[in-house]
Amino acid sequence: MIIVNRLVRLLAVLLVVTFLSYVLLNLLPGDPVTQILGLSATEEARTQLRQDLGLDQPLLVRYLGWLGGLVTGDFGESYITRAPVASALAERLPVTLELLVAAQVIALGLAIPVGVAAARRAGRALDQALTAVSFALLSTPVFVLGVLLILVFAVTWQVVPATGWTPLSLDLGWNLTSVILPAITLGCGQLAVYARLLRTDLIATLQEDYITLARARGLSPRRILWRHALRPSAITLITAVGLNLGALIGGTVIIETLFGLPGVGRLIVDSIFSRDYLTVQGGVVLISVGYVAVNFAVDLVYAAVDPRIRRA
Amino acid sequence: MRRRPGPDSQATGVLGRTRPGSRSAAGVLGRMGPGFWAAAGWIALVLLAAVLADVLPLARYDETLAGPPRSGPSAAHPFGTDGLGRDVLSRVVHGARVSLGVGVGAVLLGLGIGAPLGILAGYRRRAADTVIMAVNDVAQAFPALVFALAVVAFAGANLRNVLIVLGVLGVPSWVRLVRGATLTYAEREFVLAARVLGARDRRILWREIVPNVAVPAASYAFIGMAVVVVAEGGLAFLGLSVQAPTPTWGGLINEGRTLLETAPHVVLAPSLVMFLTVLSFNLVGDRLRALTDVRESGLEPVREAGAAPLPSAPHEVRAGCLLQAEDLRTHLVTPRGVVRAVDGVSFTLERGRTLAVVGESGSGKSMLIRSILGLLPGSSVRGGHVYLSGDDLTARTPAEMRSVLGPRLGTVFQDPMTALNPVRTIGTQVTEPLRVHLRMGRRQARAEAARLLASVGIPDPERMLRRYPHQLSGGMRQRVTIAMALSCGPDVLFADEPTTALDVTVQDQVLRLLHRLREERDMAMVLVSHDLSLVARWADEVIVMYAGKVVERGPAAEVFARPRMPYTEALLRAAPRLSDPVHHRLSVIPGRPPDLADLPPGCAFQPRCPYAEDRCAREAPPLTGSYACWYPLDEVVVEGADSRGR
Repeated sequence: MIIVNRLVRLLAVLLVVTFLSYVLLNLLPGDPVTQILGLSATEEARTQLRQDLGLDQPLLVRYLGWLGGLVTGDFGESYITRAPVASALAERLPVTLELLVAAQVIALGLAIPVGVAAARRAGRALDQALTAVSFALLSTPVFVLGVLLILVFAVTWQVVPATGWTPLSLDLGWNLTSVILPAITLGCGQLAVYARLLRTDLIATLQEDYITLARARGLSPRRILWRHALRPSAITLITAVGLNLGALIGGTVIIETLFGLPGVGRLIVDSIFSRDYLTVQGGVVLISVGYVAVNFAVDLVYAAVDPRIRRA
Repeated sequence: MRRRPGPDSQATGVLGRTRPGSRSAAGVLGRMGPGFWAAAGWIALVLLAAVLADVLPLARYDETLAGPPRSGPSAAHPFGTDGLGRDVLSRVVHGARVSLGVGVGAVLLGLGIGAPLGILAGYRRRAADTVIMAVNDVAQAFPALVFALAVVAFAGANLRNVLIVLGVLGVPSWVRLVRGATLTYAEREFVLAARVLGARDRRILWREIVPNVAVPAASYAFIGMAVVVVAEGGLAFLGLSVQAPTPTWGGLINEGRTLLETAPHVVLAPSLVMFLTVLSFNLVGDRLRALTDVRESGLEPVREAGAAPLPSAPHEVRAGCLLQAEDLRTHLVTPRGVVRAVDGVSFTLERGRTLAVVGESGSGKSMLIRSILGLLPGSSVRGGHVYLSGDDLTARTPAEMRSVLGPRLGTVFQDPMTALNPVRTIGTQVTEPLRVHLRMGRRQARAEAARLLASVGIPDPERMLRRYPHQLSGGMRQRVTIAMALSCGPDVLFADEPTTALDVTVQDQVLRLLHRLREERDMAMVLVSHDLSLVARWADEVIVMYAGKVVERGPAAEVFARPRMPYTEALLRAAPRLSDPVHHRLSVIPGRPPDLADLPPGCAFQPRCPYAEDRCAREAPPLTGSYACWYPLDEVVVEGADSRGR
């Protein structure tokens, strides 16, 4: 029942988001017709194109028509390239997803040991050093970090290419070298967030009676930390991972630009520059659906992590 | 006689206290530390440079060939020159105008729109709250960055548009923050009191809520500034902020990328300045937040105590005795001074007997148990010795101690609600010590766990093993923790207030169970309690603790029938009995337990003692024989109700 409620609520959110973005994008100044035909086009040609694209219809009608297509998986056709938006997105999505997953693997793979180490020695030198490093990482804009990494690994040491993309289907090794630097760039900021969250929650969990009692049963600190304390401390971390995964589908624009990756973010920016409304709109849908889906999945993961939630 | 506070005194008392916003600003700023001041200094420096950019002795930011192109840092050009020979320092300083201008402007815009909405939603809840939450849902799913890009791209990339877009996008965060802060205070007693007193809403908002929301808002203003500076940098990096020739930090970094191989300083200079600026905003915001965040303070995990650093008096180790404590001391180092939580406690305990430790809360009972087990907070020092069958436990390392905890010493805590790990099944938790200490296999451990659960009176133990703690009642949970404590067959069972958190009807069952188990397994038990009627029934011996010291000890029957120390007598008087008449007035011990960080000279109980004389305030009575008192009670009878109501 709660799941149904939640789904209805999420669908409502999706509707509002698509409507708002559709209206806002269309209200903004700029005209795809001018973009396609140039400033020197005749008025007849413009009217003709306007009719061809369906731009002469009222905004609400266009939105509803577009929404109807969306239900069947039809994202419309790009005004500029006349290609289906859905296929353009489908082509770009794997790049962004691979980048996101790789970044999360790096961030979580480091954040969990770092957070645990810091919480175990709360207030001591190691903890303070780790806290300082994560604070510094949090304060580094991605493009600054990315440029630095390119400078060190691609320009000075030349171990990986600075930019470019090799699809996974083409060559695994090259694919990995092209994803590693952007993934580290993206993962570092999240690593810092995750490690801080985990540290705070772990410190609180380690104060619990059941941890003291576990010690009173002669269990080793390592066992207590990993088997007793980690899971009850993971809820906030899971929430953050979910929010990030959802929010980042469109948030990789800068990294994709910096590293020359043909991902969704880059597609959206290029479409914005070329006034390709329907492609931008399709990107918006993709991002919101991704956000909503991931958050729904996170709710299910909660229940797996914390049995108290299963009752709901 | 306690004076009944009138409505006025109550209101001013409540309004006057507990108002976090009214702490002295100077004192708070003094405690911020050097990092805060360095960060604030850097922000001031960048701000000043941005404001004075035109009058500073710098080359013009757009003057080409101000120096040789792509030359590194020098005296004339501290940050070097770019590909067109323009002075990078000058460009960075002028870029600060855009970054900080947008930062300050967007934050003010977000605050201006978000704060009133947030206060409204937090203070006038109901409908407003629902709307805000719905908007919040949408705002979170809304791809803000894409929207920002689109607006700036379509409406024109200039300072005003960037500022408006980033400001508006910040509004939901502001609403959330201010609403949260308002909610916290709208429920606090001083606001409720003001409401009850009929203060007008506007007055409450300005006098009570706004000052308290100001600190979190100021903190978030700095963090928001960092967010906006990064966001503007991102837009500029994509070419969607203020356009050339005006330099921006993000734009400088983007331009410099092409020169990475020949002139990396062109990228590094704006990167470093931007990093330091964002770091400083975050740092200042974080320190301000720490002012109001209580979660960060006082968090310290319990650690296993190491060797004993406090010196101890010479003593004799009694061979036949199961558990012997000699001059056990635990001092906690706190900001207020050294707290002597356990101060020279000695006792012996034979197999098959129950020792009760009684006293008010804060008398050091629980800390005594933790000292024996070596489970002390990190800031504590332990002294004295604990012998288990003649073997000195205090000489053991934490790792050596672990082979004793569980197999020889079992522990049950007060609150069964918090004693079990909420995310692990009962089976996992009960079998764990069996597998770790007794090296049982999975199947064997499960069978043994089921047997243990049955022995503590849990019905259908097989099924219980698959359950989670939240599915059990308090009494059942306490039985589970008892089963866990007994799983490795300990010689001594420590039960720290094992029934205090339970229903009265369940208390007796649990105590009976503990007693029966102690007899069946021929263990010794240390029973900590503040409930004397309970202790009198189940204990063989008793020690009475006050302010970390033993003030009376002896066989339970004797101590309760004939207390010598006035504190014991007072405790007995304060315990309700079933034999009391219906409207019998319960007597309480006057005064409060002493402050352990600041004990009075002489006897610690003397300020509350009805029999105290001059000597009690000067000299502390030693524990001679069975009590520590200069003027022990002789034949004072505390049995009948007639002698009690004085």
